[in-house]
Amino acid sequence: MSDFSGMEDLLQDFLQEAHDLLSDVDNKLVDLEKTPDDKGLLNDIFRGFHTVKGGAGFLNATELVTLCHLTENLFDRLRNAELELTAELMDVIMDATKGVREMFGELGQGVQPQPADARVIAALQGALNGELPTASVAPPAVEPPAVQMSPSSSVPEGEPDWASLQEAITGEPVKAAQGELITRAEAEPAKPSAAAAPVVAAGKDAAPSPFGRRASDRPASTASNSRRAEERGRENTIRVDTSRLDQVLNLSGEIGLTKNRLTSLRADILAGKSDSETLHALDQAVSQLDLLVSDLQNSVMKTRMQPIGRLFQKYPRIARDLARQLGKDVELVLAGEETEVDKTMIEDLADPLIHLIRNAVDHGVEMPDERAAAGKPAKSLVRLEARQEGDHIVLIIADDGKGMSAERIRAKAVDKGLISEEEANTLDERQSLNLIFLPGFSTKTQISDVSGRGVGMDVVKTNIQKLNGSVEIRSEPGKGSVFLISLPLTLAILPVLLVLLGDQPFALPLSLVREILPIDQQRVQEVGGKETLVVRGEVLPVISLAKLLGWPADRSPEYGVFMQTAERSFILGVDSFAGRDDAVIKSLEDFRPKGVAGVTTLSNGQIVLILDMKELLADFSQHGDAGMAIRNFEFS
Amino acid sequence: MAADPKTRFLVVDDFSTMRRIVRNLLKELGFTNVDEAEDGAIALQKLQGGGFEFVVTDWNMPNMDGLTLLQTIRATPTLKHLPVLMITAEAKKENIIAAAQAGASGYIVKPFTAGTLSEKLNKIFEKYGQA
Repeated sequence: MSDFSGMEDLLQDFLQEAHDLLSDVDNKLVDLEKTPDDKGLLNDIFRGFHTVKGGAGFLNATELVTLCHLTENLFDRLRNAELELTAELMDVIMDATKGVREMFGELGQGVQPQPADARVIAALQGALNGELPTASVAPPAVEPPAVQMSPSSSVPEGEPDWASLQEAITGEPVKAAQGELITRAEAEPAKPSAAAAPVVAAGKDAAPSPFGRRASDRPASTASNSRRAEERGRENTIRVDTSRLDQVLNLSGEIGLTKNRLTSLRADILAGKSDSETLHALDQAVSQLDLLVSDLQNSVMKTRMQPIGRLFQKYPRIARDLARQLGKDVELVLAGEETEVDKTMIEDLADPLIHLIRNAVDHGVEMPDERAAAGKPAKSLVRLEARQEGDHIVLIIADDGKGMSAERIRAKAVDKGLISEEEANTLDERQSLNLIFLPGFSTKTQISDVSGRGVGMDVVKTNIQKLNGSVEIRSEPGKGSVFLISLPLTLAILPVLLVLLGDQPFALPLSLVREILPIDQQRVQEVGGKETLVVRGEVLPVISLAKLLGWPADRSPEYGVFMQTAERSFILGVDSFAGRDDAVIKSLEDFRPKGVAGVTTLSNGQIVLILDMKELLADFSQHGDAGMAIRNFEFS
Repeated sequence: MAADPKTRFLVVDDFSTMRRIVRNLLKELGFTNVDEAEDGAIALQKLQGGGFEFVVTDWNMPNMDGLTLLQTIRATPTLKHLPVLMITAEAKKENIIAAAQAGASGYIVKPFTAGTLSEKLNKIFEKYGQA
């Protein structure tokens, strides 16, 4: 049972906002390490915890209130220069932040948070009492004693008449012995049980959110060893700038008007009117509709776009923690945070980017002594940048570390039995670097607990390809490495190549297509019973699409599509081409045949299957040869 | 006296969840004419636009905090008559004193219930009704 029945909406709003706030705090903490005296930063962080505390109070999340309250007090002391920010204190603060995040995770699952780790609480209280070994320069425990609360008559000269002020402002006589928490005490009785009531009611009364209810939030967990399981649901709501929604509304209104115009024209034409004026009006209305619809499509797409900064903002903290763990000095520099990317894509990019950043900090960047020996500055820079280039989004993860040696990568791949020595010798620089994307490749013999989490670079590449993107590596030994990720602007529209088998068109994702070539049957060689073709020195298997689909292969394919997936390159044999198109993908939710990613409609109304090459090929290689696939088809 | 349900409120808080909570509590009390502002500076702009009859503001906000907002309201001839209810997570003596000295009409500590809010509002309405 949820501890929050009746106020799920409120809880989800709180979590979403509080998550953003905490990520911001995380980044400010990283900045604070560089400039520990920055008053503005201290203030902002103080306010972050303060705000979370305030919201948590309304959710009766007392443990979260306690933790935030202590941390906030710590920052209050820091900003008043009553405490000094030491590395030890920073660790306490980081632990507290982690604790807050874990509590968000629990709230996200609809349960009241458990009390924070007693050690964290003790460390915070210790720090507030100036008990950290190297922390305090301030007098201990400055919390003003709540004594002099006696009747207002005994107010010393010069001191404001606190009790009467209190009375004036709260409208109630000051009760004795309530110390400084008078108004708090007044609210207190309502706190544990009754306070739930109004908020519950508020939750129910709330106007239903136009986007429906969030099924789950996504706790942005940076803590890998979280003491409590955190569910990683997907956010299925989105925050959209109202001006963008207004634009959608505006355009749909305009389309409505144009539709009315068309309806009236249709009536005219059906009534036999076909003079040039009517036809001209029809032509105009249709062109206008054309324009409006494409504007609308763009606007709707824009509502799904989110600044990638929301994703980026949690990385500086990850990089910082990791660097510290490894004894390195690394700064993650962000650029282009305002670049907008499709929301689904942002979610799916989170893991690959974390992996690449970990990789850069762990493998790319050298230890401080190595850097010193190489004459580099002790602090290494890892740059994470996003920008839009035409209809693509480009993400760059660059480090100024030791770079990668093509030769060593080749040797490693041969060593691991991933490629043969002969193959290795034919590879150029770029191809060699790409070997790190092969499953089972890891440049370090010893897997560190940092980036070697069982997922390799192959997963990064596969995930990027799932988004119809590509990854490219550039590296210069001694200078550093750059990973370039290129992604389409949106997932809703998929550029496809339309190929024909007989009269039947099929769509292939264009991102996998390298080139198109005619298949000269005389140049096709049989190697081990399989057809192959040599393209610029590369031996590629020829796989006929007809065979893949289990169609009778009564004639040889005339054209080949040179395709490249994460696992392999091959030539797909087809009869002919029908062109390229921007497909709007309709998924086949309930009925999804194997190897079909979805369907799209051509301008002439014909329905075309979009092929999922990976699935088709998985089936194909599983059975070893094409003949098997056909037999399978015939018997099923 | 029964407060006018059409009283126009401005709720000022940088945390939108909190604005929503306050808005919902006000709605529960029958006040539906509510606008929101994200910080003191934005609030001031909206207030100068006119039409508001009641300000409910958080203390701790970026750009312009609640206390500065309150002080500015009291120093502005066209606004100084406005009732201002301060909301804060703190019930520290020095905060209450500062708020009172700046001319706050009321002071309420988070978390609070609709009942508590209603009490505070009624007291303020009474005070202003008498004036």
